[in-house]
Amino acid sequence: MSTTSRTPPPSAPDGAPDGAHDGAHDGIDKAQYGLAVLLAALGVYTIIDATTLKVGFADPVGPRLFPYLIGAVMVVLSVLLALSTARGERGEQETGEDIDPDARPDLVTVLKLVGILVLNIATVDVLGWAITGAVVFAGCAWALGSRTLLKDVVIGAVLSVGSWYFFYSGLDIPLSPGILDGIL
Amino acid sequence: MDSLSLLWDGLQAAMTPSNLVYAALGVLLGTFVGVLPGIGPAMAVALLLPVTNGMEPTQAFIMFAGIYYGGMYGGSTTSILLNTPGESASVMTAIEGNKMAKNGRAAQALATAAIGSFVAGTIGTLLVVFFAPAMAEVAVGVGAPSYFAMMLLAVVLVTSVLGSSKLRGFIGLFLGLTIGLVGLDLSTGQPRLDFGSALLAGRIDVVVVAVGIFALGEALWVAAHLRSKPLGIIPVGQPFLGREDWARSWKPWLRGTALGFPFGAVPAGGAETPTFLSYLLERRLARNSDEFGHGAIEGVAGPEAANNASAAGTFVPLLALGLPVTATATIMLAAMQGFGIQPGPQLMESEPDLVWTLLASLLIGNTLLLVLNLPLAPLWARLLQTPRPYLYSGILFFASLGAYTVNQQPFDLFLLLLFGLLGFAIRRFGVPVLPLILGVILGPLMEVKLREALALSDGSPSGLVNEVLAVLIYVVIALALLVPPLVARLRGEPDSPRREREEQMSDR
Amino acid sequence: MTVVVGYLPDQYGRAALAAGIEESRLRGARLVVVNATKGDAWVDKSFADEQQVSELESELSGLEVGYEVRQSVGPDLADQVLDVVRETEARLLVIGLRHRTPAGKLFLGSTAQQLLMGSPCPVLAVKPD
Repeated sequence: MSTTSRTPPPSAPDGAPDGAHDGAHDGIDKAQYGLAVLLAALGVYTIIDATTLKVGFADPVGPRLFPYLIGAVMVVLSVLLALSTARGERGEQETGEDIDPDARPDLVTVLKLVGILVLNIATVDVLGWAITGAVVFAGCAWALGSRTLLKDVVIGAVLSVGSWYFFYSGLDIPLSPGILDGIL
Repeated sequence: MDSLSLLWDGLQAAMTPSNLVYAALGVLLGTFVGVLPGIGPAMAVALLLPVTNGMEPTQAFIMFAGIYYGGMYGGSTTSILLNTPGESASVMTAIEGNKMAKNGRAAQALATAAIGSFVAGTIGTLLVVFFAPAMAEVAVGVGAPSYFAMMLLAVVLVTSVLGSSKLRGFIGLFLGLTIGLVGLDLSTGQPRLDFGSALLAGRIDVVVVAVGIFALGEALWVAAHLRSKPLGIIPVGQPFLGREDWARSWKPWLRGTALGFPFGAVPAGGAETPTFLSYLLERRLARNSDEFGHGAIEGVAGPEAANNASAAGTFVPLLALGLPVTATATIMLAAMQGFGIQPGPQLMESEPDLVWTLLASLLIGNTLLLVLNLPLAPLWARLLQTPRPYLYSGILFFASLGAYTVNQQPFDLFLLLLFGLLGFAIRRFGVPVLPLILGVILGPLMEVKLREALALSDGSPSGLVNEVLAVLIYVVIALALLVPPLVARLRGEPDSPRREREEQMSDR
Repeated sequence: MTVVVGYLPDQYGRAALAAGIEESRLRGARLVVVNATKGDAWVDKSFADEQQVSELESELSGLEVGYEVRQSVGPDLADQVLDVVRETEARLLVIGLRHRTPAGKLFLGSTAQQLLMGSPCPVLAVKPD
């Protein structure tokens, strides 16, 4: 929770965020090493995967050229990124009217959202979109701070059942009915 | 002229009641997403892709065009009315327009922005009508080597010119190219990068990639930074312009259009440069230039027109060459591919109905924008009071829905989540999104052309340069890569960063 | 001795403020005005902007007792106010009450109810005239 106070003798102005300022991190942005590792891993995998491809005879270039190129450059980029990180350079985090760059990132909320999406992945075929869609909506609203669970579930149910019918009747795309098969 | 009669046919086709409904829907939807910060037309188009599977391509594109223009109008509404602190707004309109609003002239700021957008959009679309066919005719004769070179130029320019870090631009590009590699190789039919899974043997659907990176990525990013001090909104009645304001605005509108259109038609031209240039130009030409910085209407009229003309300009390379230069254009290109339409110089010949109805709809959409949105401006402003939990829950809902409808497979949802996390990561590390999405969608096309060119020359690299146009383009690429750092070194300054913030904010 | 006022820049907040000023005069207490927001919307009419805050302060500066205006951002409105009450060991909390329809009571959360239940000190709930 962040607080600003105003008392009779005027205190210092609140930190109006300026675009590129990133107050929470100073010094080496170690997380970027993680990105560099990811890039290197992808690059290496691309190259290895490409070696399993067979070259067709009419094709002088073959399916391996592009992957080799891309994989190689990825590895180079990962090295460059690691070097740049070590020098203390950091990327500009995206800012916008709704971001407060001085606040620490709230990763717990992100994890909750990811959890709800994973739940959806696991249950959508079993329970059907008409149910899991409502769970996605209400669950995400809860994760993002909404306290009105009943209202959110109702809205979510309207959305999920409505969209199920929309795609089924309107566009002929049957989404999984799950356990409501036969009812819908 | 032949173009005009084709346009007339297009207008008649576009004026059917159902097409008008789609245009209006697109405009309203686009304004809706444009008003909300952080959500842009690219995301809206990506979220709507699954729904358009059941539609006629013409109607889908009419809607997309409406979304594109509506998005820009919405964005300028927000930047004028949102009581942002100090100089944190980087868009030119926001600086002068916001000051005007604080001085109680919000109605005039909104009006000049809207009318200027209409003027610029209309003129810009007419310019597209004249230039695109001519360009397409020239480009049809172009062969694989030059086509490859052109795409390479677009990709290189976008990667190295925009954004504050070339390194990150290239990282984005190559991440996108890697994603584009997944799937069956086109000539030999072998699966690439399938990570041993049969589910990845086919190409990753563009809906999943685009929705994951734009929609889900944005939602996750905002979730991590959800709470912040609310900004006030500047109350406004109906937008309107007095006579003196008209007189001060119309020339900046025209000058802005002239500046914006060429930049929009060129890869990496972007909208930031012409709006900035328009601002400078208006400031120099204005009689009362010290009003600038405190709410000069010319400082809103010119840049707004430049912004919209630039958006219109992006349709030239898209329709004539099949070359997208903004994120939204890239997704529209992918949508075309989804409909089985092959973008490229032959598009104007092979799908004249689509092209001309689309162009006509741009004109109609522009008009609808003015007619529908101008009176609704105060209403749009109230949208900003929506709590974000509902907004982003809705986005996550529609994103999941969209990804699921592609194949009715939970695996796509899993991919969606992966791309959402990737979207989060690129926002965290400042990797620009445009090179990434270009890499995903243009990468496969580039490979096809590359192999075509080399196949013709039996594998010898000379196959890449045996067309004059290709050689010329490679020279330009080399210059674009080498000149800026040389110039900076000669001047003894570090490379001046070009902020890509405006692009990410408005998500064009 | 402190009196805490839960403030919004509307008629309910002003009613609470007026009552709070009177109470702090009566008791010779310090006045702490709290304006909280969940911070989850871009625009929150309940959050006083710069101009409203300075108007508030000029109104308060005529008092003989000390005053303080606090604004905070957090996930729960009631908690933010109650935190201030506990921190200042306030003797009284003053809030404005609004009428809620039966449906409203079902679907919307009630900050006033949370404050009434959770406050360690007496609560004065007032309605606008």
